[in-house]
Amino acid sequence: MASGEKITIRVNGAEYRLEVERSRSLLSVLRLELGLTGTKYGCGSGECGACTVLVDGQAVRSCVTPISRVEGRPVLTIEGLARGGELHPVQEAFLQAEAFQCGYCTPGMVMGAVALLRANPSPTELEIKQAMAGHLCRCGVYPRVVKAIHLAADKLRE
Amino acid sequence: MTDRSDTPGLTRREFLRLAGGVVVLFSIGAPEAGASAAASLSEPNAWLAIGEDGNATVFAPTVEVGQGLRISLAQMAAEELSLSPDMVQVILGDTDRGPSEVNLATGALSTIGASVRRAAADARELLAHIAADRWAVERAQVEVRDGRVMLAAAPERSFSLGELAKGQRLVRRSQQPAPLKPSAACEVIGRSLPRSDGRSHVTGGARFVADIRLPNMVYARVLRPPCLDASLVRFDTRAAAVQPGVIAVVEEGDFIAVVAAEPERAERALRSIQATWEEGEHAPMSALYQTLRSTAKLEERVAASGDVEAALAAARHGFSASYRTAFVAHAPLETHGAVAALEGDRVVVYASTQRPFAHRRAVAEALDMKPERVRVIATAAGGAFGGKDAADVSVAAARLARVVGRPVMVVQTREEELAWNDFRPAALVDVRCGAAADGRLLAWDCDIFNCGPRGSALLYDTSNLRIRSYRCASPLPQGPWRGNGGQANSFAREVHLDHIAGELGEDPVAYRLRHLAQDDSMARVVRAAAQRYGWQDRVAPTGLGVGFACASDGGSIVAEIAEVEVERTSGAVRVRRVIAAYEGGLVVNPDGLRNQIEGAIVMGLGPTLREAVRCEQGRILTRSFASYPIPTFLDTPALDVTILPNPDLPPQAGGNAALCAIAPAVANAVFDATGTRFRELPLGRVRAG
Repeated sequence: MASGEKITIRVNGAEYRLEVERSRSLLSVLRLELGLTGTKYGCGSGECGACTVLVDGQAVRSCVTPISRVEGRPVLTIEGLARGGELHPVQEAFLQAEAFQCGYCTPGMVMGAVALLRANPSPTELEIKQAMAGHLCRCGVYPRVVKAIHLAADKLRE
Repeated sequence: MTDRSDTPGLTRREFLRLAGGVVVLFSIGAPEAGASAAASLSEPNAWLAIGEDGNATVFAPTVEVGQGLRISLAQMAAEELSLSPDMVQVILGDTDRGPSEVNLATGALSTIGASVRRAAADARELLAHIAADRWAVERAQVEVRDGRVMLAAAPERSFSLGELAKGQRLVRRSQQPAPLKPSAACEVIGRSLPRSDGRSHVTGGARFVADIRLPNMVYARVLRPPCLDASLVRFDTRAAAVQPGVIAVVEEGDFIAVVAAEPERAERALRSIQATWEEGEHAPMSALYQTLRSTAKLEERVAASGDVEAALAAARHGFSASYRTAFVAHAPLETHGAVAALEGDRVVVYASTQRPFAHRRAVAEALDMKPERVRVIATAAGGAFGGKDAADVSVAAARLARVVGRPVMVVQTREEELAWNDFRPAALVDVRCGAAADGRLLAWDCDIFNCGPRGSALLYDTSNLRIRSYRCASPLPQGPWRGNGGQANSFAREVHLDHIAGELGEDPVAYRLRHLAQDDSMARVVRAAAQRYGWQDRVAPTGLGVGFACASDGGSIVAEIAEVEVERTSGAVRVRRVIAAYEGGLVVNPDGLRNQIEGAIVMGLGPTLREAVRCEQGRILTRSFASYPIPTFLDTPALDVTILPNPDLPPQAGGNAALCAIAPAVANAVFDATGTRFRELPLGRVRAG
C-alpha cells in the first residue's frame, strides 16, 4: 500500500506534519499517531458518538472523517478542552452531576455538549436530547448528561 | 520488627508485598467455579492492610466496571477505621495482587462490601489492642476516632494508625467478627462522595485497554467465520502475508489472525484471506420458542408448596398465559479488547474484563503455562453488563504475542462485538394461576424455559406455589447478562398479575398490596411509589397509559410506575415518565446508587421496547447500532427515584431490580393505554386489537 504524502493538521493548538494515508480516519491518527487516546472508538460508522471531536468548532465523528478533510483546520479533542489544568465548564458540570458510569462515552459526550452550547447557549431539554441523540451510552446516564448540560449552560452564561 | 502470623504460607505470597504494617486476610463469597481445590471457601481471597504511613489498602478480587464499586468500598473501610476515605486505596482486578477470585456476576457491593467492612473493623480492633497493650490497659479503655487510637480517659495520649502499624509485620486471618459501627454513628457511609476516577473520565485521561501503548506493540485481527457453527475447510493467506505493514499471519488450527503495524493494515490484510467454511446445521430462529419448549429438561424446582393442581382445579377463576422475551446483546460502548506482552518467562495481559482470574486460567490453559506465569490486569472497563466474562480476546492476544514476540493488541470491532459474543437468553415463561371468588390468589404455577429462575420469586402471598426452571437447547450462544432471567421472569409475573387484577376488576396496586401481607418491605416500596405518583384507584384499561410493576434482585426490591404514550398510527411506544421506589439495605453512596438505578431503568428500556438479536442461517444480522438500536437520549423518560433506607441490612445488589421492573411496568402501561395485552418483548410497535 502506498504510504501517504505529508499532511499538516492542527490539533489542540499544535501543528503536526504527518506522513499518513489521506483516507485514514481522523480517529486513528489522533489515537495512534498523536497518542490522544481520550477520543474513543465505539462503532467505526458514526453511529455512537464516542469519537466526537470539534473541527472548526463543529462536532464531528472522527471515525468516519478522513484525515484529508481536516487538513489545515483546527481540531479540538477532549485533551485540549481544559486550559492550564482548569476544567472547561462542561467538564465541571459532568463531574458535578456525576454524568458517567463506565465513562467510555464521556469524552464524546463532553465534546458534543461543548458544540451544542456554542450553537445554542440556552437549550431546552428537548433541544439537548435532539442534539445529543447521536451519542450512545449503554450505562444509561442520559438524564444526568441532560442535567450536566443545563448546569454548564448556566455556568457559561454567567 | 514484630513478625507474627497465623498464615505463614500466605505471608510469603508475592501479592502481599508486605513491607511492614498490619494485614487482615479475609474471604469473600464463594470461590469461582473451576478454581483450584486450594482456593476453598476458607482460603482468603482478599486483604486489607494498614501501612506504616497510616494509609489503608484493600484488595478485592473483582473489578470496577462503572458501578462505583471503588468509592463505596473505600467508604466502608474508612468508616470502620475512622480514616478519611482518600486514605483508603482500593486495588481491584490484578491477578498478581490476590490469590483467587469470587464468582460475582452482580451485586459486587452486597457480597464484597460487607466483607471489606468486617475486615476493616477487624484491623481496627487489632490496632486498638496494640495500643491498649502499649498503655497496659484493657481494650475497652481505648477509643478509635479520626484516624487515631486514643486513651479514653486521656485523649491527648494517642497514636495514629500508622504509628501503631509501624514496625509490625502482622498478618492475621479475619476470624471473630469485630463489632461494626452502628448506623447512627456512621460518618462516611451514607455520603454521596464523588468517585475518584471522575476527573479522568471527563478529561479523556482514563486508560481503557485500547488506550494502552507498549513499546513495539502491534495490532491483530482475528478471522471470523461467516456464521455460527462453521468449521474451516481450507484457506489461503498468501495475499495477506505480503501486504505492507503485515508482520505475521498466524495459523493455528481454526485460529487465523493477522498481526500488523496498524489496525487498519491488519483489517485490510484480513479481508484478503480466502477461506472456505463448512456450515453446520443452523437451528431455525422462526421456531425459537417451540424449540425451547420441545428441548426442555427440568433443571430446578425453584419453589413448591401446597397442592397447585388441586387448587387450580378448585379455583373460581383461572388465568393462563405464556410470556416471551428475545435474545439481547450486551452492547457495551467499549468493545472487548486485550493487550498481551511477554515479560521474561511470564505473559502479562491487560484486558477489559469482569473476570481477570478466569482470564488468567484461560490464557494459561491455551498457552499450556502455569497460571502463576500469567498476570491479568483489568483495565478500566467501558461497560460489561455480564458480557465481559469470555476470555477469547485475551487468549488471542496472548497466543499472538508469543508467536510474534512483541506486545499485541486485539480490539474487537463493533460488528464482532455484536455478532461474536454470547447473548442474554431468550425466554419463554408459562404462568397458570387460579383465584378465589373474592379474587384472592389461590395458586401460582410457573414454568421457566431457558432463562433460569433469577427474579422469579412470586413476591405475593399464595398457599399453593410451584415454580420450575427448565434448561433448553439454545440456537444462539448465551451467557450472563445484567439480572440474567430477572427481566423475563419479572415481566411474566407482573404482567400476569396485572392481567388478573384487570380481569377481576381490581386496582393493580390494591391487588398487589392485598397479597403483600407477609412482606412489609415490598408493601412499603409499593406504597412509596404509589404515593409519589399520586396513584388513584383504577381498573385498567383507563386509556391513560399508566402501568405498575415490582421486582426483586439480589436482595433489592423496587416498585415502578411507567407513563407511556402510544402513537396511534405507528404503534410506537414512548415512555414519558418513570417513578421508582427502591429499597436495597444500607445505602453507602446515595448518589452512586441513584446513578445505578436511573441507568438500569434506561438500559432496561432497550429490551422492553426494541432490542432483539436477529439471526438467519446462523448469521447474526444485528451487527451495528443501526440494526441493534439501544436506548438513546430520545428514549429517556423523566425519572423520579426514591431510595428507601434500610440500614439494618447490608447493602444489596445495585440497580438490577430496577432494570427488571421497567419491562412489565411499560407493558402494563401499554395495556392501560390500548386495552390490548402484549406478552412478548420487545414490545416493538404495538397494534391495538
